[in-house]
Amino acid sequence: MNSHHDGTARGPLAHLRVLDLTSDVAGPWCTKLLADYGADVIKVERPRTGDPSRAHGAFPGGVPHREKSALYLWLNTSKRSVTLDVATATGRAMLLALAVRCDAVVHDWRPSEAARLRLRYGDFAPGHEAVVVTSVTAFGQGGPYAEWQAPPIVALAAGGQHYMAGDPDREPLQSAGYQALYQAGANAFGATLAALWAVAATGAGQAVEVAAMEAQAAVLELFLPDYAYRKSQALSKRRGNFASAAVGIYPAADGYIGIHAMPKNWPQLLEAMDAGWMADDERFVDNRARLRHDDELSAELYNWAASVTKREAYERAGETRAPIAPVNTIGDLLQSEHLRARGFFRELDHPFAGRLTYPGAPARMPATPAAPSRAPMLGEHNVEVYGELLGLAPADLVRLAAAGVV
Amino acid sequence: MASGAPELSADARLPLAGVRVLDLTMVWAGPVGTRFLADMGAEVIKVECARAWDQLRSLHFLGGDTERWWDKSAYFNHNNRNKYACTLNLKTARGRELALRLVAGSDLVFENYRADVIGTFGLDYDDLRAVKPDIILVSMPSHGKSGPEADHVAYGTNVEQLSGLASLSGYPGLGPHKSAIAYGDPNAGTLAAAAALAALHHRRRTGEGQHIEVAQWEAMIPNIGEFVLGYGMTGGQPESIANRHISRAQGVYACAPEGDAADAWVAVSVGSDDAFAALCRTIGRPELARDERFADVVSRHHHHDALDEIIGAWTAGRTHRDAAAALQAAGVAAAPVLRIPELMADEHLQARGFWESVTHAIAGTWEMEGVVWRLGRTPGHVRVPPPCYAEHNGWVLHDLLGLDDAAVAALERDGIISSAPDLRIHA
Repeated sequence: MNSHHDGTARGPLAHLRVLDLTSDVAGPWCTKLLADYGADVIKVERPRTGDPSRAHGAFPGGVPHREKSALYLWLNTSKRSVTLDVATATGRAMLLALAVRCDAVVHDWRPSEAARLRLRYGDFAPGHEAVVVTSVTAFGQGGPYAEWQAPPIVALAAGGQHYMAGDPDREPLQSAGYQALYQAGANAFGATLAALWAVAATGAGQAVEVAAMEAQAAVLELFLPDYAYRKSQALSKRRGNFASAAVGIYPAADGYIGIHAMPKNWPQLLEAMDAGWMADDERFVDNRARLRHDDELSAELYNWAASVTKREAYERAGETRAPIAPVNTIGDLLQSEHLRARGFFRELDHPFAGRLTYPGAPARMPATPAAPSRAPMLGEHNVEVYGELLGLAPADLVRLAAAGVV
Repeated sequence: MASGAPELSADARLPLAGVRVLDLTMVWAGPVGTRFLADMGAEVIKVECARAWDQLRSLHFLGGDTERWWDKSAYFNHNNRNKYACTLNLKTARGRELALRLVAGSDLVFENYRADVIGTFGLDYDDLRAVKPDIILVSMPSHGKSGPEADHVAYGTNVEQLSGLASLSGYPGLGPHKSAIAYGDPNAGTLAAAAALAALHHRRRTGEGQHIEVAQWEAMIPNIGEFVLGYGMTGGQPESIANRHISRAQGVYACAPEGDAADAWVAVSVGSDDAFAALCRTIGRPELARDERFADVVSRHHHHDALDEIIGAWTAGRTHRDAAAALQAAGVAAAPVLRIPELMADEHLQARGFWESVTHAIAGTWEMEGVVWRLGRTPGHVRVPPPCYAEHNGWVLHDLLGLDDAAVAALERDGIISSAPDLRIHA
């Protein structure tokens, strides 16, 4: 069932074992990447309820079920699940014993939570100098906001990307899903691998910290760099779907298309639009002229977009190599011939949720192919993990369950 | 491995000390990716040439008559700090030969050209492997290197449109909406840097390199993975809920202007009955906790608009910082929706030392974002200022490749290297 169990995992990280103390999105995305690329990730969940993402949905037929939540199923592939109440002395001791058998520990606690549980870096490292302890939170392990309540929208609001999204005359707009947290999780994945790389050379682990606020602030496109350097606020405003007429989202005959024509893409854009006459029009003759006549250019692009379907525009884009894309719906994505030809999506069976289509990996690593497996059921690997790593017998697990520890 | 660059403040303690990256990437996705590795101590050598220089250098907003504007673009400089820059015209046989000699001394090569371009230089994976059998090549084409749309081009905004995220986002009923940034770029860059590290781990154990492919479109889809699975469960695409949440009562509320900032907002999010009671006390409306319209999670959603009005009436009389601080002190999740100037002045990031000063020979001194991957024992910093165009030609050609002055002069004469970009490009 689990790829680590049957010995078929060959991903680039098949030599690593990771103790995953995270829930919701940011931490689980980090540890899902570790797991999908081959690491043996042991996810520690609260007894009975498990990761809160098990209650998030979507659910088949809209009926909640802790083994059928889309968010959990997606973010916990390839992991093993054990239950453990880490707030009990027995549970904490078991957790520390598991950590000794792991290369890395990932948690998403605020400093006071880690302190209360006595599970800070300094609690893991003695006797296990090589361990990497990664925290992934909204605000990091120090600073004035470190103890703030931080649901996803708070992490987004503080990072600068929230203010910059949306229409200028409306409130800032949160993009769909949990983008601030995905960014934090991807950074935590990279940072953990960097620290583990150093462990192999020096034998010394360390605490690693990723804050969603910083992860977002570091990639504010040209807006933050320009303000940081020129101290001009000219670019620090929301601009809706348009940076200029040549960079925006336009309604097409059957949906929307996106155009992103930098100066060097102008000839290709005209070719895609079959609008060679514009090359000779003095209003559009160079980038400066086009910016001066932005409204007129916008009108031309609206007219053209409305005259084509998403598919027609995209085909023209491919023929002419113009940066034009359809605004794909999920339905469009799942029917994409390109993604199908590349075998991007894959199907996984789950005993409760059934067969579902899952996105593939963000990076293809052909020398080390990995085969992600379905997300675990709550506590599915208690017997296996506690037996294998802690030497506990099934009878011991019965004792622990009766005490509410697992 | 290599001798250090002349001004290299090499920190042998940094995790990637001794790892060399040949960076053929331009614009944002590739450069922001290799920046992560540079921040962790890798020696990243960026390659440009007169007719193929990084377009980010042109996005400077300083006016076209600014002296050496191509060395002053903040967008370029922020994304290329801790790196070195040289020139090589990869379209020439001599330029290719020299690039391959650099490959032979490198651990990683990054490229984010359109799928078919690197092959026209004769620098495909097999070409690289011939001179460095365990090389790790990271290719980052927007659509991937195979499939019927492999030759399409896309910027980061297009990647977001292709991925499905734009169609899922937006003000309810008003069509798709982009996120704040060309999101496809840093997303692919972050994941490509991490994948490169995964490949290094594998190489150390097995001696085997590989050719990693990060199709930026594919790298973006996992960020909406729960919607893809949800589609399979429900057969439909959900309407955007914008700033709301499936369960929590939350929104973004206008606040009193502060200084010249009329456009001020606070995000508030209530996830429990206790937090709602705390919210009611904080806004001076304790009776609302017993109001049947807001008595439980479901009622609060049914009367969300009315709740928004009540919260908004309170926030309108406060700055976003004061509102957020008061709510957080009461145990209610809230944060100011920080504008960029506020973000850079923010007390939390200041206390954490996030911003770092950089001094650049041409562009001067300013503050930029620090290192996101915070390693406690071996922290990364801005060690090397962003490189001017061709700044490290001498180090690369003389020290790394062993060419003498006559050979370098010949390269300049033949247009293989240059000291200034051709300004007709990206005009």
